[in-house]
Amino acid sequence: MSTATITPPAAVSGKGVNFARTLHSEWIKFTTLRSTWILLVTTVAVSIGIGVLGAWGMGSGIESMRESGQDPAAMGMEPSMIYLMATAGIDLSQLIIGALGVLLIASEYSTGMIRSTMTAVPTRLPALAAKAVVVALVAAAVGIVSSFATYFISQPVLTQFGMEYGLDVENLVQSLLLSGVYLALVALMGLALGSLLRNSAGGIVTLVALLLVLPIIASMLQFDWVQDGVVPYLPSNAGRQLVALEIAEDALTQLEGGLVMAAWAAVLLVGAAVTTKSRDV
Amino acid sequence: MIEAHGLVKMYGKKPAVQGISFTVQPGKVTGFLGPNGAGKSTTMRMIMGLDRPTAGDVRVNGSHYSRHRAPLREVGALLDAKAVHSSRSAYNHLRAMAATHGIAKKRVHEVIELTGLGAVAKKRVGGFSLGMGQRLGIAAALLGDPRTIILDEPVNGLDPEGVLWVRTLVRALAAEGRTVFLSSHLMSEMAQTADHLLVIGRGRIIADASMQDFLARSGQVRTRIRTDQPDALYRAVAAEGVSIENRDAALLEITGVDPRTIAQAALDHSILVYELTPLQASLEEVYMALTKDEVEYHSQNIETAAVSRNIDNSAEAQDVLAGTGAASGEGK
Repeated sequence: MSTATITPPAAVSGKGVNFARTLHSEWIKFTTLRSTWILLVTTVAVSIGIGVLGAWGMGSGIESMRESGQDPAAMGMEPSMIYLMATAGIDLSQLIIGALGVLLIASEYSTGMIRSTMTAVPTRLPALAAKAVVVALVAAAVGIVSSFATYFISQPVLTQFGMEYGLDVENLVQSLLLSGVYLALVALMGLALGSLLRNSAGGIVTLVALLLVLPIIASMLQFDWVQDGVVPYLPSNAGRQLVALEIAEDALTQLEGGLVMAAWAAVLLVGAAVTTKSRDV
Repeated sequence: MIEAHGLVKMYGKKPAVQGISFTVQPGKVTGFLGPNGAGKSTTMRMIMGLDRPTAGDVRVNGSHYSRHRAPLREVGALLDAKAVHSSRSAYNHLRAMAATHGIAKKRVHEVIELTGLGAVAKKRVGGFSLGMGQRLGIAAALLGDPRTIILDEPVNGLDPEGVLWVRTLVRALAAEGRTVFLSSHLMSEMAQTADHLLVIGRGRIIADASMQDFLARSGQVRTRIRTDQPDALYRAVAAEGVSIENRDAALLEITGVDPRTIAQAALDHSILVYELTPLQASLEEVYMALTKDEVEYHSQNIETAAVSRNIDNSAEAQDVLAGTGAASGEGK
């Protein structure tokens, strides 16, 4: 039996929790899973592959039309469409990056890791915020690296058709940079959905529904109010204005489109924050 | 120190914990006992802020867990050995946990060595045995060198060496003046480890006493007697409330009368007694007697079930066994 005279150790000394340390912890967690690296490398490779192949396909198509005396423009093949190929990879990479966002948090719920996370950071929201910062920065980097790499790798390929182009194409640099912002917003939507649903499969399916299925369904509903009032404001439609090189008169501007998509991400994140704070883990 | 006041947790309409109050004192190992589904794990999760109490309040080291500036340095907990991402290595898991509090890598290596994880620290946690997972959970609990340690079933899955190590460790932590609160279903282990006991049944505290007081509360004094004249002694002590069991020809166990009275009776009747041993009830016996009515998931008595159904074929007896196993599973 212990005696009652023993005094407990004095008040604790040493560092406490703060946001910088929580961010460091989340960075360690992010970089110490092999699956993360596989997804990131895959995303960059797939983006570059799609963009370069697309540029090569268009270049060779236009060249063969010209050789046979056809006018590519008359067939709907503007040489300027080649410029769009630099960011064409995000059609697919958004799905991988979005899945990464979902998995980052949903895998903690499925493995039980979330209880360790919430024990180390019991106020909870800083841990969610740190995850958001990490995944948004990584997604942005992946988007920007992929777009610029696609551009630079495409040029020697296009040279053989005499269709190489410079970074001085109007809005091009901006578009390459904003592809990173688009992917960051997708990643944040994924993180929020993963946190709300606490389930990897459910989160990924919901994200795909929001980004891909909803626009298709909406575009089939031929009502004016749907076409004018809903379709442009769906997250992927609005967000794609960020990487557009030309903006139609009546469409959302780059800034507007970006803000609409950011609003989608923000609403989902607020929902995730509220449930993270209130639900048992 | 852990202080709970009127703690209530409802899962939907089902109460898991029904207004319990208790204090876990520093400098002691306090054992937390109770049948499956009695509310032990729920109570521990509420202490750690993982589950929000429906009502009531619980503080650790004077404050709500989440209000502490450096929670991992205040309280270390092993609530669930599976609270780890299965694809990450033990070392990286601990490093990520440590980073939240700016705990040095040196300490990470220390707890890895302390818990005997050195050889597997760089391997994926998903491949760990139950015992290795437990050791990692204990390593995480000790990371912040906390003043209060909460361990839910720490010896579950550990080998005998590991069980002994946990016992020595928690005794040493308590001797340093720390608060140690642990649950276990292994009564013999708890009897050797705990100074104080808290017993919960159906979400209510049914005992809060020192180990000595708890064992004494059975009230049943039992004495083992060896004599060549069991029948004579039987007649000498037989009275209301006294029960006598014949273990064999020369061995009796007498309950309901104190050893001195038995010795006096033997002397008065000139009966030779060559062993007279007062028996203390084991923790298991006292616990079983106390919680007999509190068990939510009763196991069926296999023998009785089989006999009463007149089962003479082993396949059906197996079904009874399987049913019993399911019935005793942990409820939430």
